[in-house]
Amino acid sequence: MINDIIAIIRDYWLLLLIGQYPNGPLGGLANTLILSALSIALAFPLSILLALARLSKWPFLRWPVTVLVYVTRGVPLLMLILWSYFLVPLLTGADVPSFVTMLTTLVIYQAAFLSEVVRAGIVALGQGQMEAAKALGHGYFGAMRFVILPQALYNMIPSILSTFVSTIKDTTLGYVINVPDLTFAASQVNNQLLTQPFQVFLILALIYYAICWSLTHVAYRLERRITRKRAGLTGAGAAAVIAPAKIISEQL
Amino acid sequence: MTPSESPQDTYAIRISKVSKKYGDYPVLKDINAQVARGEVVVICGPSGSGKSTLIRTINRLEEINSGSISFDGQNIHAPMKTRELNHLRSRIGFVFQSFNLFPHLSVVDNVSMSPVRVKGVARDVAHDQALRLLDRVGLADKANAFPGQLSGGQQQRVAIARALAMEPPVMLFDEPTSALDPEMVGEVLAVMKSLAADGMTMLCVTHEMGFARDVADRIWFIDAGQIIETATPEEFFTSPRHPRAQRFLADLRH
Repeated sequence: MINDIIAIIRDYWLLLLIGQYPNGPLGGLANTLILSALSIALAFPLSILLALARLSKWPFLRWPVTVLVYVTRGVPLLMLILWSYFLVPLLTGADVPSFVTMLTTLVIYQAAFLSEVVRAGIVALGQGQMEAAKALGHGYFGAMRFVILPQALYNMIPSILSTFVSTIKDTTLGYVINVPDLTFAASQVNNQLLTQPFQVFLILALIYYAICWSLTHVAYRLERRITRKRAGLTGAGAAAVIAPAKIISEQL
Repeated sequence: MTPSESPQDTYAIRISKVSKKYGDYPVLKDINAQVARGEVVVICGPSGSGKSTLIRTINRLEEINSGSISFDGQNIHAPMKTRELNHLRSRIGFVFQSFNLFPHLSVVDNVSMSPVRVKGVARDVAHDQALRLLDRVGLADKANAFPGQLSGGQQQRVAIARALAMEPPVMLFDEPTSALDPEMVGEVLAVMKSLAADGMTMLCVTHEMGFARDVADRIWFIDAGQIIETATPEEFFTSPRHPRAQRFLADLRH
C-alpha cells in the first residue's frame, strides 16, 4: 500500500505538480494554488465592499447587494459554476476559458459568504467606536479604515480563515468544467491506473490537507502576533494571552 | 483668521428652540440656552430627562427635529457637506461615559491618531503632543500600554487627552464618571477641574454634585426634556426655585 503510493508519486509527480504543462495548459497543484490564491486575494477585498454596501444607509446600494448575497448563499456552488459555464458563452457569445469562469464564480460565491462574516464583525463592535471616531472628526471611510475594520477583521480571523480554507477546497469543483487543477490531474492518474483509486485519492486528500493546514497555521501565527501586540506584550513571556488564539484550531 | 472663528459671538454654543422626538415621544422640548466662552456649565437632572440626548445633539451625534445649535457662529444642524460636519466635530471635544478608547491602538496612538489622520499633523509632532497631553492627565508612564491594561479611571483620562489632542475650543462630557468605581472618580474630576481652571469652555452632564458646586459657573437643571432651572451653584444648591429641582436635591441627600 505505502509502496503503491510511493510508486504513484514517483511516476506521476510532474503531472500532479503542473499538469500537462508545457505541452498543455498549466494544471495540477500549481494551478490549484494559483486559483486558490487569486480567489482569496480577490474575494477578500470584494467582501469588505459588499459588507459596507449591506450596512449602507442608501437603499440603492443596500438592496442589490442584499439580493446578491441571499441568492448566492441560497444556491449550491456547483450549480452556479454550471450556470456560468453554460450561460455566459450563450448570452455573450464570448469564449470564456474555464479557468476564468471558475475564478469569477468562486470569487463572487466566497465574497458573499465572507461579506456576512465581515458585516457581523462590524456590527458586533457596537456604536461606541464609530461615535468616538466621528466625534474626533473622522469621516466614514477614515473611521472604517483606522478604527472599525482593524478591530472587526481581527475579531473575525477564525471565521475569515474558515472561509479561506473552504475556498481552497471548493477549487476542486473546477473539475466538472475541466479546469485542469490538482483534482483533475489526480483523476487522470486514476483513469490510467484504473485499479488503485484509494491510493490516488489518498494522495490527493493529503495534499489538500497540507495546503489547508499551512494556511491555518499562518493565520494562527498572525493572530497570536496581533494578540500579543495588543496586549502590550511584544517581548517574551506572553503565555497567558494566547488563549483567544486557541479558537482557531477548533475551526478545522 | 478663518471665518469659523468669528469673534463677534460671545457665546461658544447657542441652543435655540431645539426640539427632538423619538417617534411620538418628545425627548427635548423647545430648549433655549447658551454657553459663554470659558464658561463651565453642568447639566443635571433625573435619569431619562434628556441630558445625554441634549449634549449629543451639540456635536450632532443625535439629530434634532427643529431648532438650531450654533457653535462658533455656525449652525451645526444646518444641511452641510459631511466634510464640513467632520471639520466642525473635530473642533468639539467629546468624552463618553463608556470611554470608547480604540482598543487596538496603544495609549499614545489613541491620542495622536486623529491629529495625524484628520488634521494632517506630522506624525512626530502629534506623538510629542500626545506625550505632553498624557503627562498633563498624569499618565505619561502608560504611553505604550494598551487600553485593556488600564483601569477605568485611567482609560477616561486617556479619553480626555485624546479629545484635547484635536485642540478643541469646547469640551463636552457625557457622564464621564458614571461608569467608574467610586475610588476612580476623583482622578477624572481632578483632570476636569484643571481644565476648567485653564479656561476651557466645558459642558458637562454629571451626577457629581460636589464637582458641580466647586467648578460650575452655571447649572442647567433638566426635567422631561426641558431646562426648568438655570442658576449659579450657590443659588441652585441653597435655594432652588423649581419644586422639581427641590425634590431632586432632596433625593440626592438621602
